[in-house]
This record gives sequence, structure tokens and C-alpha cells, in this order.
Amino acid sequence: MNNSTGRLILTLTVLGLVSAFILAFVFQWTLPYIIKHQAKAQERAVFAVLPGASDYKEVEKDGQVFFEGFDQSGKRIGVAIKATGGGFQGMITVMVGTDPEAEKVYGIQVLEHQETPGLGAFITGEKYEANFIDKPFGDYKVVKRPATSPYEVEAISGATISSTKVTSIVEKAIKDIQRAYGGGA
Amino acid sequence: MQLLNDFKNGLWNENPTFRLVIGMCPVLAVTNTMTNGLAMGLATTFVLLASEIVISLIKKLIPNDVRIPSYILVIATFVTFVDYFLKAFFPPIAASLSLFVPLIVVNCLILGRAEAFASKNPLHRSIADSLGMGFGFTWALLLLSAVRELLGMGSMFGIQILGAWYQPMVIMVLPAGAFISLGILVGIMNYITKNTTRDTHCH
Amino acid sequence: MSEEFTRVILLFISTVLINNFVLIRFLGICPFLGVSKQVETAFSMGLATTFVMTLTGMATYLINTYILEALNLPFLQYVSFIIVIASLVQFVEMFIKKTSPVLYKALGIFLPLITTNCAILGLALLIPLNGYNFIESIVFGFSAGVGFTIAIVLMAGLRETLEFGDVPEVLKGVPITLIIAGIMAMAFMGFSGLISI
Repeated sequence: MNNSTGRLILTLTVLGLVSAFILAFVFQWTLPYIIKHQAKAQERAVFAVLPGASDYKEVEKDGQVFFEGFDQSGKRIGVAIKATGGGFQGMITVMVGTDPEAEKVYGIQVLEHQETPGLGAFITGEKYEANFIDKPFGDYKVVKRPATSPYEVEAISGATISSTKVTSIVEKAIKDIQRAYGGGA
Repeated sequence: MQLLNDFKNGLWNENPTFRLVIGMCPVLAVTNTMTNGLAMGLATTFVLLASEIVISLIKKLIPNDVRIPSYILVIATFVTFVDYFLKAFFPPIAASLSLFVPLIVVNCLILGRAEAFASKNPLHRSIADSLGMGFGFTWALLLLSAVRELLGMGSMFGIQILGAWYQPMVIMVLPAGAFISLGILVGIMNYITKNTTRDTHCH
Repeated sequence: MSEEFTRVILLFISTVLINNFVLIRFLGICPFLGVSKQVETAFSMGLATTFVMTLTGMATYLINTYILEALNLPFLQYVSFIIVIASLVQFVEMFIKKTSPVLYKALGIFLPLITTNCAILGLALLIPLNGYNFIESIVFGFSAGVGFTIAIVLMAGLRETLEFGDVPEVLKGVPITLIIAGIMAMAFMGFSGLISI
């Protein structure tokens, strides 16, 4: 049975090599498509949160990436940032578009999340995202009724935690933008 | 005739979800919408088909002692392929199934069929078996996700079916609703076929 | 140091109760349904799983960081994780057999079942996804195992009592177990407001 130990190892090695070879090929083939999709999704998000922008460019400041949006005359109309934070079930990534000069949020778009479908997943819905359209910079309060002041955010019913998490991610994004672009402080 | 029986076996008599009760993690996890259920069913069917074909072809070359590791290796390779394929060409589906695509590797349905069927039967019968089991799994996922999506969100495949008068039962799309509706569906299946589920599980 | 410590404690609580592997994430359903008839065996299964999960947490972190990421081989993630888990289980089985026959008697028959427990691979995949560091990976593995043990032991306790219940014929076995699991999942949802990650 000595022969068989060698055969066992040989079988697994050959299978492993064939598998690695096939997967390396698959990876090479699909990677460009995956990168293209991610770039497209990012571009769509930047334009969605910076209304009126016709072009944008990535700027790195203090190790953070910002997206500066420009209108047709080439004037900078706002800055967006991709902010990440813990949600109810996993990480949430939000694109936040702001006007640092006027100290207001243009709008937000949730890019990635793992929240509960039917509840927390509504953070991607228009109704929740509309909470942040044209909001002044500041500390927000999540309320369980329609917002009455500009510093209030209406929670999704049954998903207060997800709503609060997104709100604090947005607050963090605003602070990052303020620090880099000097608005306010 | 034998081929037809192999095919029908998975669809009904030994339906993986309702009769064998194996591979339950994805059944519960991704059936909150019908789109997810269908995508998961087809992805699993593909991996099952491809793995059974390869295993049926190379079964004579593999020493008995490393059978299981070799099968897992074959399955993991195809799962990685599916994962990258979905990410490249169907990114929204890949995003909503997320973790459960790689978990097809440990879906006991696939290893179970590889071990119980493809390792003992010729190629054409293995193909029939994998298609039967795969589609059996797919329609079970579709049925469960139809119940959950319709009751939980009032829609099917994302299209609103029930009007604004319908107050969605949010519990149906939550984990608790998955367990309860699957329990009731298995019970109904038992009632239809007049026998109780075999108390087997994977392994 | 203390901040790190708090984070680890929070991670433990949230993995055990809030994002319970079985009841909220749907990982490890097979053993949960299959090995939950008696409290004693359920507990042994939970113990064996916790043991393997803790080691898996450590091993996947090391492999992912020092081999897959260092050599830029992300496409081998699934293949290498499943091989690591299978060999780990084999290794643990051999080790226990040699060192502690008593423990082997208690856990031995469950160990081979663990390789195909999707909770283990799920754990391995969640570690790079959530970006845990070395300590967090180990704690995550351990607490996932504790959460699994709690769920399976609770279920076994309920099923032992259920033996004497008057369950309709068609619901006996799997269906009633699933329905009970649903009610348990509802109860665990109550933990969701406990802490924030």
C-alpha cells in the first residue's frame, strides 16, 4: 500500500493545480468587468449626490479620497465622500454629497449594506434618502415621526437602528469633509 | 426510461428540500425575494451539474481515501467560477446573494449527490440526476420565496401585485418568517404525500 | 488597550446574541435540525463546533493575510478555506484521539460532520469581509461557536419536552422544529437593540 500514499498525494496535487489554473484564468477574464461595474456604480453615485455636476475628479487629502464635482463651466459645486460604518448586520457604505461652502448636504446614496430585507434595507429607498436632501451641516436627531426641523431625520418604521447608523455615518462624512475643506471650522 | 426516473426522482420523490431536507441554509437565507430564490436555485443547479459531470468522469482515477477532499476541491472550483461570473455579469444578483454564493461549496446537497450518485453511476445518469435534483431544489426555493415575497412585501419578482390596501406582513421577510413558512410548507408537503419527512440530514 | 477590550466584548455579545449564526444568519442549519434531539449530544456538538470555529478563525486570518493577500490570489479564497477547514478538522480529530480518549469519546463522532457545516465556512468568509484583526478573528470564531451552542442546546431542550406534546402527525419531525426555530428567531430579534457595533 506504499504506492497508494504517493497516489493520494499525487491526485490531490494534480487536482489542486488544475483548479488553481482554471481559477486564475477565470479571474483574469472576469476582473475587467468587475472593475468596470464598480467604477460605473461609483460614477452613478457621485452624480446622484451632486446634482448639477457634469464632471468629477478624485482628490486625495490626508489619506482620504474625495470626489469633487464640477458643473459645465468648470466651477466646483460640491464635494462627495464615500463613508463606511457599522450597521445593524454588517458594514454600510454611503456616498454623501455636500456643498462645503454653503455647509449643506446635497443628498446621500447607500451603496452597500447587509441590512434586513423588508426593514433595514429600506435605507436604500428614496423615502429614507430624501431625509438628507438639502440638509444643513450639524448633529442630527433620529425621530420616529415626520421630521419637523432640518436637524431631524425620520426613522424607517421598524428599523430605527439602521436609520440611526446611516445618520451617524453621514455625520462622520460631514466632519471629514469639513476638516479637509475648511468649511465651518 | 431509467434516465427519466433519475430526473424525476429529484423533482418529487426525493426532493432535496421537502423530502430529504438537506442544504437548508440557502433555502432559508436567500428566499426573501423570488429573484434571489431563482438565482440561487440556478447557481446551485449549475454547480451540481458541472460537479457531477466531472466527478462521474474522473471517479476511476481518484483513490478511495481522498474521495471526499477531491470532490470538495472540484465543487469549490466551480463555485468560485460561478461567484466571479455573477460578479462580472450580474452584479446586483451577486450583491444580494453575497455570502451564500461561496457557501454553495458546503451545501450538503452537492457533496451528497456527488458521493451518493455521481461516484457510482455513469455520465448520462449523473447528468439526469443533477438536473432533477437541481430543478427540484430550484422550484422549492421559488415556492418558498413566492410565499415570503408575496406576503412580506406584496410583490412577486419585485413587481407589486397586491395593492396599497395590503398591509405587508414584514415578519415573512425576516429570519423568523423563513423558518415558520418553510415549516408549514414541509408540513403541507407531508400532508399531500401522506408520509412524514425522513428524519435524515446531510452527512 | 481598554478601547480594544471594549470592542472585543461588544463583538462577543453581538455575535452570540444579536447576529446569532443559526437564528439570524442561517448558518449551520443542518446540524441545528439534525443533532438537536437530546440536550447532551447537542451540547457535545456545540462544544466540538466551538473548538473548530475558534481555530478556524485564527487559521483563516493568517492564511488570508499572509498568503492570499500577500500573493494577490483572491480567487483561491474558497478553495483554500475549505481545504484548511477539512484539514483542521482532521487534525483536531487525531489530536484529541491521542491526548484525551474521554474527550474523543464525547466529540469524536461529531467531528467529521463539522467539515460540511456551513457555519464554519461562513465564519471563514466573514472574517476578511468584516476586516477583523487577529484578536478579533479569534474572538469572532469563539463567539460564533458559543452562539451556535446556545441555539442548538435551547432547541434540544424544547424538542425533549416536545416528545410529550400532541403534535399533529404531518408536522412531526422537521416541520415543527422549523416552526419552533422561527419562534426562537423572533425571541432573538429582541436582542437587536442591546448594543451598537
